[in-house]
Amino acid sequence: MPGPWESHICPGCACLCDDLDLVEADGGLQAHNVCAWGSAKFLGSKKFHPGQPRRRLTAPFVRRRGRREEVSPEAALAQAAELLARARRPVVFGLTACGSRAQEAALAVARHLRARLEPADLNLMAPYYQALLTAEIHHASLEVLRDEADTVLYWGANPLHSCPRHLTRYTVFARGRFTERGVEDRRLAAVDLHRTELARFCQVFVRVAPGADLELIRAVQGVLSGASRATVTGAVRLAEFLRHGEVGVIFAGRGLAVGAEALARFAALGDLIRVLRPARRFFLLPLASDFNSAGLYHLLLTRLGSPWAPDFGEGDPPVFRSQPVRWEEVDALLVTGADLFWLLPEETRRDLTRRQVPVVAVGPWEDRTVARAAVALPAALEGIEVEEVAYRQDGIPVCLRPVLPPPAPAAHQVLTQLLEISS
Amino acid sequence: MLTAPELLEFLPQTDCGQCGMTCADFAGLLLARDLSPADCPVLHEPEYAGFIEALEELLATAPAAGRGMAIDPARCIGCGICVAMCEHHLAQVPEARAGRGPGLGDRVIFRVVNGQVVVVNQELCVRLLQAAEKCSKCAEHCPTEAITLR
Repeated sequence: MPGPWESHICPGCACLCDDLDLVEADGGLQAHNVCAWGSAKFLGSKKFHPGQPRRRLTAPFVRRRGRREEVSPEAALAQAAELLARARRPVVFGLTACGSRAQEAALAVARHLRARLEPADLNLMAPYYQALLTAEIHHASLEVLRDEADTVLYWGANPLHSCPRHLTRYTVFARGRFTERGVEDRRLAAVDLHRTELARFCQVFVRVAPGADLELIRAVQGVLSGASRATVTGAVRLAEFLRHGEVGVIFAGRGLAVGAEALARFAALGDLIRVLRPARRFFLLPLASDFNSAGLYHLLLTRLGSPWAPDFGEGDPPVFRSQPVRWEEVDALLVTGADLFWLLPEETRRDLTRRQVPVVAVGPWEDRTVARAAVALPAALEGIEVEEVAYRQDGIPVCLRPVLPPPAPAAHQVLTQLLEISS
Repeated sequence: MLTAPELLEFLPQTDCGQCGMTCADFAGLLLARDLSPADCPVLHEPEYAGFIEALEELLATAPAAGRGMAIDPARCIGCGICVAMCEHHLAQVPEARAGRGPGLGDRVIFRVVNGQVVVVNQELCVRLLQAAEKCSKCAEHCPTEAITLR
């Protein structure tokens, strides 16, 4: 294993930190400047339990009479192609935690299968990009925010759990060109269901009831524009907090993506930014945690022109679906770049299992989806074992370089082979 | 493990300054065995009878702790806030100033390795170098309270 590698890019989360130093130690890899999340990927441990090893998917298998049978990659691909070709309503799910080449290959597979492509974080990112298109929200890179932002608001987001180095590298503690004193030059606020670790750094922390975000956003906007008096707890404090900023940013997290009001919430945040903007510079960014979530929406927007889930079931060009997929209609699944059975509610998991919906899983880990898969194909870790391209959460593309030999082909190679066999 | 706040409960907590410091600082130095309970002039007053003995009993049951900081690996998430906030890094490590992780060759107090903060050069800590300087920024800003200063 040659090395050391300096300034390596971490594929752990959407921060894509570019300051990792990797050295060989005790026959393995030692990663410097990597958080617990990134470290889990480099060291092969569980994300929330650093001491516990995470099992790799080492060989392709097909499930026959409930038992896993290891087969050749060609046999597994043929079985996967057959299962997916038989389906009337197939869905290609995930794609937020895999590289851009894999996403492109998955889009081609979805088009060929006449399937629906369902991003794992559709409810968070698609409404954001829709708001970006319609509300004329300005865009800024994380470096610009580090240098200039004096007002930071996390809404429905806890970066310490989704992107642990976000505060350190870009938003609160980093010292930038016009924020030379770091945290002392900035003001931080957060809105969340529960009091989180962020609260200890916040000038304003507002606890919001489940489902009350939209009302609060509109109330803050009303106070700022002088159109109405606050009727929601915390609205005045938030409005005053935002009013006193010169350059600010609102990071919207998964808390805003819950339920059917996601699009309305992002539209309201867009309106809020518009109210703030004449006298100040304010930005809105989603706090995506999967390392290439932005890359998927970049692909959808540049290739298809819409951030919503493309459904090729009725032909090409696709129909764009803004509502999450109705799982009871799905009769085959191709999952890559996400652990679907970890994300789904128990009731839906049981329903998919009861109906024996065939699942084809492509990925590096033995996760819950692989445990239920009819066919599973191992893939290499992108950015550690194979080269890939990923987009940081602010939309900056970066090239991920490998440092270890791959034990399996890259996900984009597997998906391309699947497409070739299916054609 | 015995902590300074536990010792503080047996101190006057009036911050009178007769010992030359605050009660919290006195508790920290008690924990590090730099001072003994009898060094507090106020505890010799009849009002505080038995407090010195109680403190000595507490200190006798706890193993002597070294000075500096202790990291709880079960709590640390490797966010690196301590590395960015450290006074020594602020002056000596430009990378850490800007929020980036320090380079392999940088002489730092702690760095994040494999997702956990590890103390590599504790002797550089401002807290240990200058008795008058009571920097505790790493522990104050740790979001998971993984750092304990001793």
